Amino acid sequence: MSGADLVIEASGIVNRFDHNVVHEGLNLAIPRGCIMALVGGSGTGKTVLLRTLILLHEPQGGSLQLFGQDARAAQYSARQRLRQRIGVLFQGGALFTGLTVLENVLLPIREHGAVERSDLADLGMLKLRLAGLPPDAAHKYPAELSGGMVKRAALARALALDPELLVLDEPTSGLDPIGASAFDRLVRELRDLLGLTILQATHDLDSIWHGSDMVAFLARKRVLALGPAAELALRDEPELVAYFREGRSLAFLHELQAASETGA
Amino acid sequence: MARGAHCMTPTERPPALQPACALWCAGDAPDMRTLTLGGAWTVHGLDPAPALHLPAGCTTVRVTAAGDAAIHAATLVTTRDMPAAEPAAVVPLQLDTAGALVLGRSLKAWADAGIVVDRSALTPAHRQLLDLVLARAAPAPQLQPRAHAGLLGDIGRAAVAAVREGREFLAFVGELAWRGVPLLLTFWRIRWREVVVEIDAAGLRALGIVGLLSFLIGMVMAYQGGATLATYGANILIVNLVAIITLRELGPLLAAILVAGRTGSSYTAQLGTMRITEEIDALQALGLSPFEILVFPKVVALVITLPLLSLFADVMGLIGGGVVASAGYGVPWNEYLSRIPQVVGVQTLMLGLAKAPVFAVIIALVGCMQGLRVSGSAASVGRATTVAVVQSIFLVIVIDAGFSIVYNLLGL
Repeated sequence: MSGADLVIEASGIVNRFDHNVVHEGLNLAIPRGCIMALVGGSGTGKTVLLRTLILLHEPQGGSLQLFGQDARAAQYSARQRLRQRIGVLFQGGALFTGLTVLENVLLPIREHGAVERSDLADLGMLKLRLAGLPPDAAHKYPAELSGGMVKRAALARALALDPELLVLDEPTSGLDPIGASAFDRLVRELRDLLGLTILQATHDLDSIWHGSDMVAFLARKRVLALGPAAELALRDEPELVAYFREGRSLAFLHELQAASETGA
Repeated sequence: MARGAHCMTPTERPPALQPACALWCAGDAPDMRTLTLGGAWTVHGLDPAPALHLPAGCTTVRVTAAGDAAIHAATLVTTRDMPAAEPAAVVPLQLDTAGALVLGRSLKAWADAGIVVDRSALTPAHRQLLDLVLARAAPAPQLQPRAHAGLLGDIGRAAVAAVREGREFLAFVGELAWRGVPLLLTFWRIRWREVVVEIDAAGLRALGIVGLLSFLIGMVMAYQGGATLATYGANILIVNLVAIITLRELGPLLAAILVAGRTGSSYTAQLGTMRITEEIDALQALGLSPFEILVFPKVVALVITLPLLSLFADVMGLIGGGVVASAGYGVPWNEYLSRIPQVVGVQTLMLGLAKAPVFAVIIALVGCMQGLRVSGSAASVGRATTVAVVQSIFLVIVIDAGFSIVYNLLGL
């Protein structure tokens, strides 16, 4: 039963492009209801790992369990069903340019859901509002939206089928700081209310320190460290030191230390 | 009226999923009813959604989720159109935003109508979800119905669009002359590397298809002409027929049409995609001219390539005709070859090849212009590509006809 409460359990994942090895023996397990940040320097294979986990990229080796099912051995139809349980926010939004925002959100519901026709528009509008879009954005085309609104519309589409797992690739990049922290709050709220599990690749220090329960740190072709940000910040591997104790991360570390001192 | 009929109807959904259902039970007080929710009140279980009609005489509704409390069959409120469902069959409630929306709307409507709605039996998470959904629910804004202008309006709009597009094309030709001629004068500044790449793509890689099709058309011409000529014993005139038609018309025309379909379309798709991904804007922002970098090398490459392809098409067409003439109509090979220079001069060849650079400019400009006009969606790249191929083939044939008229007037 150990696998029952793990949404993702990847072990020994190998990803290789020609001679460029991106992941070698990578292990990652995400418990249900967790908000996990996937961090690491540029080029450490965050996006490749996300694409592997959402079944868009077939790894060269390793095993992948999604919701307790063996995703690599699964048949086509089983894989399609697994995909429906995952909502994905792509980095650039990846909205369908030929459809309006509302139609983008309704597409997965129409195709996979069972909702009465008369309820469709209301449901789509609800998702838009949940993602923080104003109602008048509903009939706009993606080309008419600002960058932040594209992100929100893409989140609304990712939420369309009320997925159990939400995978976000750089969700707060391109959002203003207020929008970014509202986004973090929204993600947390959705997790609490819907029991979502969230995996986000991010560079946003605020999301890493305050918006996530766990941080998976990618380095040396695997998940080098896994734990809350405050824990990782105290470890001594050079990559972690560089990421968490230098530059702009220092402010968050100091803030944390100050908080623990006043608490003690 | 009480209902809950959607509970255990057989469906084609996966066996694990039971569609949403709602059961009305008698409550503690006479005017109180308990609404028990079960099954998948989720995006997968709401078609059809359970109809939530308030039973008559009910002023207090207590909402509960199935699975927590046993439902006693005796307390079920049944009506003639709904037999009591098997209480044991009510499966635990699953609620997501879609279910919360459908349920929340009814609860809100009842509350607004003065009915007491007691949600205390639901879990805090379900209550919060209902609150969240009700707080964020919004009606879809009305789409502005587009005023239809009628047939006359459509014709007018199409005419204006055509005129505008024609002007745009003229402006594009003007830009080619205005910016291209100075570039030609300083020819060392032309991006020859791009030109060579385009020549490779548009010319070298098209040799196979152009050669094969010209060869086949040459054969077809010789067969069709030969059948008639042979009845008069004038087999040798196949040479005149094939040579004149191929060199003056078919070689350049066939090469141009193939290049329009093969290369013009790729120009449109390439530039259109670059517009969507903002690469064109990026070039402009870097202070580089998309015209110089993208359009001009393509025009130069096609102006060099298309005459050569036409010449190749001429040769292959003549060979195709020769094969049929020698194999089918008894015109020996060396006779066929030696007669060609007698019936067509260099002038005939040149009259045909002279058209090729004009076709090349048209194809490259139409392809590039349609690509640069793309805006917005991926579908518009597809539309622009179609328009580019249709327009360039249309213009090539129109211009070819124009050449024929001019040549005729000049007595060539």
